[in-house]
Amino acid sequence: MITREPGSEWVSPEVFEHLVQLAALELNPEEAEYLRREMNGQLTAIRELEAIQIPEGLPITSHGVPYTPEISQPLRPDRLQPSAHAEDILAQAPEVEERYIVVPDIPRTELE
Amino acid sequence: MADYEAVIGLETHIQLNTVSKIFCGCKTDSWQDPPNTNICPVCTGLPGALPALNQVVVEKAVLLAAAVHAEQIRPRSYFARKNYFYPDLPKGYQISQYDEPLARGGFFDLPLSGGQLRRVTIPKLHVEEDAGKTLHRGDRRLIDFNRCGVPLVEMVTGPDLRSADEVAQYLIRLRQLLRWLGISDADMERGQLRCDANVSIRLAGQDRLNLKTEIKNVNSITNVRDAVQAEIERQIREVEAGRPIETWTLDWDEERQALSKMRAKETESDYRYFREPDLLPIVLDSEWQARILQALPELPLERRRRFIEQYSLPDYDAEILTEERSLSEYFEQAVGSFSGEPKTVSNWLMNDVLRLIRERGTAAGALQLTPGHLARIIEMVSSRQITASTGKDLLEQVETSGRAPEDLVKEQDLAQLSDEASLRELARGVLQSNPQQVDLYRGGKTTLLGWFVGQLMRETGGQADPQRARQVLQDLLDM
Amino acid sequence: MNQALCDLPAHRIVAGVKRGDFSAAEVLESTLARIEAVEGRPPGLGGEPANGIGVQAFISLTPERARAQAQAVDRALSRGEDPGPLAGVPLAVKDIFCLAGTPSTAGSRILHNFVAPYSATPAARLEGAGAVTVGKTNLDEFTFGSSNESSAFQPSPRNPWDPKRVPGGSSGGSAAALAAGMAALSLGTDTAGSIRQPAAFCGVVGLKPTYGRVSRYGLIAFASSIDCPGPMARNVTDAALMLGCIAGPDAFDATSAQLPVPDYAAGLEGDLRGLRIGLSPDYARLKFPDPASGELREQPIAAEAQAAVEQAAQALAAAGAEIIQGVPMPNTQYGVPAYFVISRVEAASNLHRYDGVKYGYRFDGEVADLLELYRKSRGRGFGPQPKLRILMGMYVSGAQYEKRYYERALRVRTLIRQDFQRAFDPAGAHRVDCLLTATTPSPAFELGAVYGDSVLMQYADLLTVPADHAGVPAISLPAGLDRSGMPLGLQLQGPDFSEALLLRVGRSFELATAEESWRSVRPPILAGVSHG
Repeated sequence: MITREPGSEWVSPEVFEHLVQLAALELNPEEAEYLRREMNGQLTAIRELEAIQIPEGLPITSHGVPYTPEISQPLRPDRLQPSAHAEDILAQAPEVEERYIVVPDIPRTELE
Repeated sequence: MADYEAVIGLETHIQLNTVSKIFCGCKTDSWQDPPNTNICPVCTGLPGALPALNQVVVEKAVLLAAAVHAEQIRPRSYFARKNYFYPDLPKGYQISQYDEPLARGGFFDLPLSGGQLRRVTIPKLHVEEDAGKTLHRGDRRLIDFNRCGVPLVEMVTGPDLRSADEVAQYLIRLRQLLRWLGISDADMERGQLRCDANVSIRLAGQDRLNLKTEIKNVNSITNVRDAVQAEIERQIREVEAGRPIETWTLDWDEERQALSKMRAKETESDYRYFREPDLLPIVLDSEWQARILQALPELPLERRRRFIEQYSLPDYDAEILTEERSLSEYFEQAVGSFSGEPKTVSNWLMNDVLRLIRERGTAAGALQLTPGHLARIIEMVSSRQITASTGKDLLEQVETSGRAPEDLVKEQDLAQLSDEASLRELARGVLQSNPQQVDLYRGGKTTLLGWFVGQLMRETGGQADPQRARQVLQDLLDM
Repeated sequence: MNQALCDLPAHRIVAGVKRGDFSAAEVLESTLARIEAVEGRPPGLGGEPANGIGVQAFISLTPERARAQAQAVDRALSRGEDPGPLAGVPLAVKDIFCLAGTPSTAGSRILHNFVAPYSATPAARLEGAGAVTVGKTNLDEFTFGSSNESSAFQPSPRNPWDPKRVPGGSSGGSAAALAAGMAALSLGTDTAGSIRQPAAFCGVVGLKPTYGRVSRYGLIAFASSIDCPGPMARNVTDAALMLGCIAGPDAFDATSAQLPVPDYAAGLEGDLRGLRIGLSPDYARLKFPDPASGELREQPIAAEAQAAVEQAAQALAAAGAEIIQGVPMPNTQYGVPAYFVISRVEAASNLHRYDGVKYGYRFDGEVADLLELYRKSRGRGFGPQPKLRILMGMYVSGAQYEKRYYERALRVRTLIRQDFQRAFDPAGAHRVDCLLTATTPSPAFELGAVYGDSVLMQYADLLTVPADHAGVPAISLPAGLDRSGMPLGLQLQGPDFSEALLLRVGRSFELATAEESWRSVRPPILAGVSHG
């Protein structure tokens, strides 16, 4: 249950920093401040949603159009369809060694 | 020292043996292929790529769910995105299932030594895509996407197993079931069956669940058992020493036979699941489900029980004969063609035929030596038309040539030598060639009779009836 | 009047090429000459100084590809073969689509060097139909925006009707290219109005098809459950022709509708007798929360925009339609807040894959580990608009907020959809066949006037976003010029898969207003350019 005082912010600098970590982003201070301000603005707008009376049991809509059996695509048959693009795909990688894509290692905490 | 009980649950990932991957037309099996050759825009998460679900993945998963008696196989289930960053996950999310999985409420009755059954609950079974592989090279990671998008079924058990041996048993039975159903080759060394074990301990007789550790990346059943055993012992030591158990993730080093604590999670574990918008729900109407379940065979443990009852077989035989599905079917067909005791067929199968199968690296269902052929051979031996050793040779011959055993017997004149006179003649010859042994025998070393029989059998090219041979020799020697 | 080949409607280009009046190569050269005359220097990541009044519609041009395609069309014709229903038509593809062998950047630094190994299905279908691709058009970064100003490739496109104003967004480059004669057709995308709003701002036709009507395979994803690829053209007949080529099921897109594609061009000339066209008071005003206080504010749309709607209603009535006033669409006001939530959740997830590992921009300085590589690549590769959407998406989809925001928004979406279902219900109170509204609350605004204020920018989409939520088709038609000479757009919205109806009504409107003076006004940016 989220409680908030009237006039206070939705996204504090701490929450914001946490989201930036989660999103694997890195921001300079001006950007950070701009984004945090915009987020708070958008969340104020979103608050409108909370006031709407939603009838009990109203289902969600995942795609506007209902997917009836008639318009739904049948599942894909289990057949081989090798891609002609493997080399072009690999060619897009910034660093490749012996056909592997290379990245720096992941942070570890070695113990025991 | 107090009496402790181990509480173990398993999370298994099963690679399905479909032809193509779950969401694209690349092939499922790329074991040992050069890296990044079995890829396409979809399984490498290229901008703009979209998933398209493989129908047979659903069918195999439903078959497995039915085989573990799932209480609920949902008529409508949904895929969900599990979002996190990891280099072997090209889209930055895994398409999996979350709160609306394919099946719930299953169980597996695991036979334990001593005849009891351990009911292992299987609360959840769902479908998802596999990630790629990474390997270390110095301070860098090398990534291969060949395996991205291979279809997986994830099956989670309740904390129902009570020892490292039970864990091994469960995995053996699971592997057997998966091969039996024909949905996975389940070879742990090739990563087709993977297992993470959640281990905790408590005082015997207690009900509560204590904090557990997770053991990951163990690549064989023996290693799982050893790792779980080591962890149980470690936890007991810690608790006895008054130290608390922390929820670590552990790695098993096979060479050092030791556990080590793994690096902390790379990113947070708030996966922010939401329904996958690029895929429609899996709609399993009753017609389709019925069609799929037509392929549900009698399960291995059921068949084992039935063989014991119906064919009066001992446990041991039934276990071996139902280890692999085509062998069990072969057995029944052979029994159907044989007028004598099923146990006789069983003996032949468990020994010579199974050896033949293993030597040739094949399966019972692929033999040229059909159940009918086998039954015929056994009959000819039982009726003394040929010797047992001739019978065994015939197994090989029929398998190699594909020809009927009775034809081979006729052609090669393999019928037993039971003509008394010729036998006596050959027997005299054996005695004459071996005067020293004759003296020894008559001097009291009657055990040499066996040796004489062997000699006579050689003389007859194995075609004498050994019993008659023995009789004849005994007569001559005792004269 | 002798028109430059590049200014011809697409359907006349096809007819002319097939009849031998001119070759595909000639049409292309005319187009390339127009581009040379009005486009300006190519934009860049560092921002190039604008070339005077250049339109700046394109991120990259593909003249080699286009020449080869035009030659192929001409060769096929000389052999007596049919090169396809779009033979020789110059096409501009919004750079949100993968097109094999071309840089496909999504308007972002993070994909600035990504060369697509494959083609998006709609783009491939167009090229397969004989279209000639002249270039990839500029767009808001990852389609996040309504003005095209957020592109990493600067300068961003200008409105050919007034280079101090935006062309709209996110398909701003596409709309501008059409208005300036630099392409006869353009493939755009619409998620909150991104086809219709720039079409309205630039005085061209833009159609958002029903969700699922056109395959999304190869469309660099923003909001997967909302994105719609669609046709943009200078007239309704061309839009119909183009839709016919791109619509239809695709095995690579599981959400593509398994419906046959009608001949959209066939029913265009029918009259409107018996048709019921609805007007809604909820589209005559904007309701939105004040960004500072959160209080609900209400204001009418621009008077001239409303006037255009009323005049159009009269024209359509004269053509035989019945106009139904007062159709309630009460949940229209929730379109934007619901959109803020739903689209951000999907966008944040769709943008996870841009991590510098497999393609696109990778930070090339020293990093301690992989995590730092992710942060620096994404931090430098993404502009502020993607970052904003990612952070919003992370926030509202966090486990503790999920029910409050995301699920709730999906229910509000149902309410919005129900507005349409009630309006179109044959047994309902109003039972209209389509709704007539303004496309945007006001005409194109000035560059820099709104950018940076994300709430205000988003509310420009208030009249277009409901159709995105509901999945229904909607078309924007040019409806005249306002007092300052800026285009005004008219929107028609219809039931699921009623594109043929919308095109027919649009064609009627075109015919009814064919003689009006504004139809012969050219965008000022073409003032110095020859006609012939």
